[in-house]
Amino acid sequence: MKKESFFKTRIYPIIFMVVLTLVFISVVSGIYLSTKELVLLNESIFEKKAVLYAAGIDYPEDDTQKIEAVYEERVREVGGEEGRPSYFIVSLPSGETGYVVYTSGAGLWGEIVALFGLKTDMQTLTGVEFVQQNETPGLGARITEDWFKQQFRGKEGPFTMVEEGTADEPDELDAITGATRTSTAVLKIANNVFEVAEAKIKEGN
Amino acid sequence: MPARGKIKKTFFEPLGKNNPVFAQILGICSTLAVTNKLENTVIMCMGVLFTTSLSGFTISLIRKLIPSRVRMMAETLIIASFVIIVDIVLRAYVPDIWKQLGPYVGLIITNCIIMGRAEAFALNNPPGLSLVDGIASGLGYSYVLIVIAFFRELLGTGEIWGLPVLGDWWTNWSIMIMPPGAFFMLAIFVWVVKGVLIKESEEAAK
Repeated sequence: MKKESFFKTRIYPIIFMVVLTLVFISVVSGIYLSTKELVLLNESIFEKKAVLYAAGIDYPEDDTQKIEAVYEERVREVGGEEGRPSYFIVSLPSGETGYVVYTSGAGLWGEIVALFGLKTDMQTLTGVEFVQQNETPGLGARITEDWFKQQFRGKEGPFTMVEEGTADEPDELDAITGATRTSTAVLKIANNVFEVAEAKIKEGN
Repeated sequence: MPARGKIKKTFFEPLGKNNPVFAQILGICSTLAVTNKLENTVIMCMGVLFTTSLSGFTISLIRKLIPSRVRMMAETLIIASFVIIVDIVLRAYVPDIWKQLGPYVGLIITNCIIMGRAEAFALNNPPGLSLVDGIASGLGYSYVLIVIAFFRELLGTGEIWGLPVLGDWWTNWSIMIMPPGAFFMLAIFVWVVKGVLIKESEEAAK
């Protein structure tokens, strides 16, 4: 059998991999850089929509500029670091002042991060939006569905959870059938939010 | 240009008797993980289809330059690049679906079908044929997943593509959208398909 040259067996594969890597990295970076602004915009709009939703303020679903305008008018960001404000002061549709705060807790599969809107009495919720969750699709992930989120509006804590579809008291929340662990996690987060909010607002002032 | 018969064979084999999922039992991880909602499944399948076809094509294009010693590294690099492109594009243009798919898009890299086709086919065949093979493998994977997702979403939530189709009388089989449901559906699918296919090939052998 012919012995292959040192260049062919040792050097060429290295040169080949270096060149191949450079080519593909340039392509991928190019695409990344060209969509970077769009991704950042998506993220900022996503957060703004979430804050408005938690405060119960209506906004046009797909009109980026109008969302920005409503947000500018209604919301003031307070404190925080790394681009994520500590909390938001909002003027509610009723004319009152309200707060929106980030809070989080352990879900079934991963962390659940939510934005809660509260009135200044620190007892009444104006709404909730889940900004990050990895719950089971079709079961726990139903916390992101409208019927589940809408029920938080106007509810007064501390809360208890009742069987899906039976909540009618101001301190009762519908659980999700088949997602007991996720429901309990959300309940815990919701009951904790008043404490979290008070701490953040105290710190902010 | 390869013969028409060969193109036809390359295209139809992965759809039928050489299907990556139910014949080769590859890509099972994602088959189990992303089939509980039809919408997510379809986006996932599009990602896999894009990656299998283009990575097969690219690897085949440079197959004579790839030293056999580092061929796996080269294949992984090419496949990973295409997957990252899918991830970036989804993130920029359909952020809501990107959020739902979460880590699964990145995990296309580890889908054995893509690596398997690169090793078994793209390294030894011209680019055109490899592209056909990649598309066919992607489609073979996709239709199996879509069938499974259809039944899982229907039985598990009474909905198709998020729209309610079974009325209030239907009691959701929660187990169908949880991981065990995927094992049941996949096993039933393989059983049915193999029952039919094996019977046919046995009859042909007589």
